[in-house]
Amino acid sequence: MGRPSHPVAALASQSLFGPPKWAVAWLGLLVLVAVVAPVLPLPYPPHVPDLAHIAQAPLAPGQHWLGTDAQGRDVLTLLVFGTRTAVFLTLPAALLAAIIGALLGSAAGFWGNRARVDISYGAVVAGSVWWVLRLPAPWLGGVAGALGLVGVATGGIRRRKLAFRLPLDALVRGGATALDTVPRLVLVVALAASAGSISAPGLLVLLTVTSWATPARLVRAQMLRIRTLPFVEAAQAAGVPAWRIWLKHAIPHAIRPLYTLFPLSLARLLGLESTLSFLGIGLPPEVASWGRLMASYRQESSAWWLFAFPSTMLIITILSLQKLTNSRK
Amino acid sequence: MYRVRQNFLAGARLCLAIALLLQGCTAKRRAEAPIKIRWAHDPENLDPMVMANQTAIDAINLLNCSLLQADFTTNQFAPALAEALPTVQLFGDSLMRLQYTIRPEAAWDTGRPVLATDVAFTLKLMFCPGLPNAGPGGQYRFIREVLIDPRNPRRFSFVCTSQAVEYVQASGDFFILPEAALDPKGELRAFSLAALQQRPASAPPNAVLEALSRRYAAAAPGQTPARLPGCGPYQLVKWEKDRYLRFARKPHWWADRVPHRPFVLQARPAQLEYAIIPDAATASLALQRGDIDVFPQMPTREFTRLRKAPATRANLNFYTTASYDVVTVGFNTRRPALSDALTRQALGRCFDAAGILQGSELGEGQRTVGLLNPADRLNYNDSLAPVPFDPAGAVALLRRAGWQRGATTEAGWRRNSSQGPQQLRLVMRYRTDEQLFATIALQFQAAAASIGVPVSLQPTESGAFSMALRNGEFDVYVRALRGNPFMFNFTPFLHSQAIGAGNNTGFSTPESDQLIAAIAAANTAPRRAQLLRRFQGLMQQEMPLLPLFFLSNHIAAQKRLTGLHPTSLKPGFAAMAIGEAAAPPTAP
Repeated sequence: MGRPSHPVAALASQSLFGPPKWAVAWLGLLVLVAVVAPVLPLPYPPHVPDLAHIAQAPLAPGQHWLGTDAQGRDVLTLLVFGTRTAVFLTLPAALLAAIIGALLGSAAGFWGNRARVDISYGAVVAGSVWWVLRLPAPWLGGVAGALGLVGVATGGIRRRKLAFRLPLDALVRGGATALDTVPRLVLVVALAASAGSISAPGLLVLLTVTSWATPARLVRAQMLRIRTLPFVEAAQAAGVPAWRIWLKHAIPHAIRPLYTLFPLSLARLLGLESTLSFLGIGLPPEVASWGRLMASYRQESSAWWLFAFPSTMLIITILSLQKLTNSRK
Repeated sequence: MYRVRQNFLAGARLCLAIALLLQGCTAKRRAEAPIKIRWAHDPENLDPMVMANQTAIDAINLLNCSLLQADFTTNQFAPALAEALPTVQLFGDSLMRLQYTIRPEAAWDTGRPVLATDVAFTLKLMFCPGLPNAGPGGQYRFIREVLIDPRNPRRFSFVCTSQAVEYVQASGDFFILPEAALDPKGELRAFSLAALQQRPASAPPNAVLEALSRRYAAAAPGQTPARLPGCGPYQLVKWEKDRYLRFARKPHWWADRVPHRPFVLQARPAQLEYAIIPDAATASLALQRGDIDVFPQMPTREFTRLRKAPATRANLNFYTTASYDVVTVGFNTRRPALSDALTRQALGRCFDAAGILQGSELGEGQRTVGLLNPADRLNYNDSLAPVPFDPAGAVALLRRAGWQRGATTEAGWRRNSSQGPQQLRLVMRYRTDEQLFATIALQFQAAAASIGVPVSLQPTESGAFSMALRNGEFDVYVRALRGNPFMFNFTPFLHSQAIGAGNNTGFSTPESDQLIAAIAAANTAPRRAQLLRRFQGLMQQEMPLLPLFFLSNHIAAQKRLTGLHPTSLKPGFAAMAIGEAAAPPTAP
């Protein structure tokens, strides 16, 4: 059994069977629109209501090519800025979720429940978490963190290191299972509702925190296979530190399923964000969103254009992402 | 052949019997079905002392009675528990005595008669410590004493501290509570009304008052009104929070025995159900499907659309009246940045009231300079001009208020004051699901942004909105204030006494307090009009509130309903007078 091919080579080979051109073109156009949205020569700014033309149909007088919503905002502008929101929210969320999932899943798969962690590092992490989450008596977290840092600094001169066994695999699997037991939409709605109003960065964190489980599970499964491969054993025999083998050699191979999964994650997150905005519990009202634009159709049930345009964009985008996923399988 | 005919006849009879049975069941179900009315939000609290919002007042009105009630057929106060309007006696130049007699038929659910002692007890409750009585306590302070006729336990007189014209009606506009249920031993009778009114907040605790407060809390009329016997025509059958409230007509209500029953004592529907549907679009669909029967305060655009559509025009009746609901912007004057009138005036110039009225309300409604309806020609100050939409003027006013614009757009406006450096950055709250308020907020945000004032919008769920306003967690809000043509008592929401209760803006000045007290105590209509005009000028100058325009009241109801009596008075129609027209004969 030889070493698996390099991921870059794998990607190159995949490009031969490339995704449909229309899907790539559409997604590329969306990213371009998202980037240049603020400088596009749009006839109306996104959140300035045109009170003289409320709920106006497309191509009616008033230069609103795609009409206006129930508050008099220009639909074309809202679609453009909604694209910006969709791209700049779901892309980082999917990336962050993939990175967090990859790190946790690969660590769990590589070390299993046998990882031994120096108590100093443990104190630093536990203290930081305590402090950040503002648990009772946050100064306790500060003290624990400081003691941990002292321990780390003096670690080199200590002969005997104090370490504890960390059931990493059980923790990651438990966390992922706990997240999966509650439907994602319900979980996000509950978290968003408990936070009251939620900002765009807040929603980004929320989407990331609730989306890392699937990548983690995939990468963990892959890592369980990779850690038994000869090149890993050879590296261990050569005395390469375990963390180095994990980071430099094992992870690049373990994350290969994520290349396929990534567009699908994007599609899911896009759907989730639109659903949240449709329900009115997502982004603040001044942030344009396709989902909110669709929801405004309920206020003006004769204004078909409020539903038709954003839903068309959402459908084409999700179809494109799914085509991209299929082409990578 | 004979057998075939016999079988055919038997089958026909069976079919006829089933049809009649089904018809009977349907008719019975129709007769027993409640009249369903849409509410935008849950009343939250049915405590007659609290009266948290308009829906709560509507619900409490079904459970309880007051001495006088608004008659929607005449738009005047009419006697309800009282036999007649009070007789007025003036003493000197400052005292007034109002004499009432309670109807002999009036009785609590327990069968006990409603007596003058219940009225005196209710008034004393308004000043008992430990009760949620901040609102009525401020409103009924003008009644100094209740004199009960020793020869007639149903007759009594209020001794009022001034001869104000509106005290005649206001004196009868509170719900009467049963003394026997809350104070069975009559211990509160030992306290005079004046003593309770003058009792300082720092007074040592009193065992009787504390026990009463505990009994009131245990009765929890806010959440379980059934624990207190009422004298209203309905009882609460079911309350599913944020879903619906169902009321059933009492089979033997005391007013059924009143000869020549007046309009205010009508209670025709056997059941009333208030369906809580926050989203107006959902409520409109429910109305079209027949899931609800009455949709009051329907948004103007939806109302116009349904009225024009042939399908809905065939099934629904549409009513439009003027209203006393004024869309109002409030500024939190406790915030250092909003503590001065110039800044508030500047921000007031960022609201395009005329544009919103035209665009969102299709021009239906009336612009105003103050909290008084322009239709009230005597009291409305027509010498004032409505606040214009003038962002350039707003910039000039901000500069006069000491604000300096930063070099960049992001820098915004800053100023140094005795309280330290300040930045003009606002949070605006409004009720979620209110499209009109969302439009106003967006328009304000855009106009404010154009002059460099960042505004973040916080649409807030109904219950949280009321709480946020009470706790002062806002810079600017927009909501509808519901008024009436009878009373001009601004104490509950603009007087310093109401700060922490109904005065959400936190505004008060000695001058405004004096003016509010003088308006409430004015003893002639012309004198009151003069004071009201001054008050409107002062409010426009100080601008803790910025009234934008009065709304029109739109009601859509199923065609089979009769007797809605659409009115300008809240809630806009007479729920207790609704009847059902006989079903039209079925076409063959």
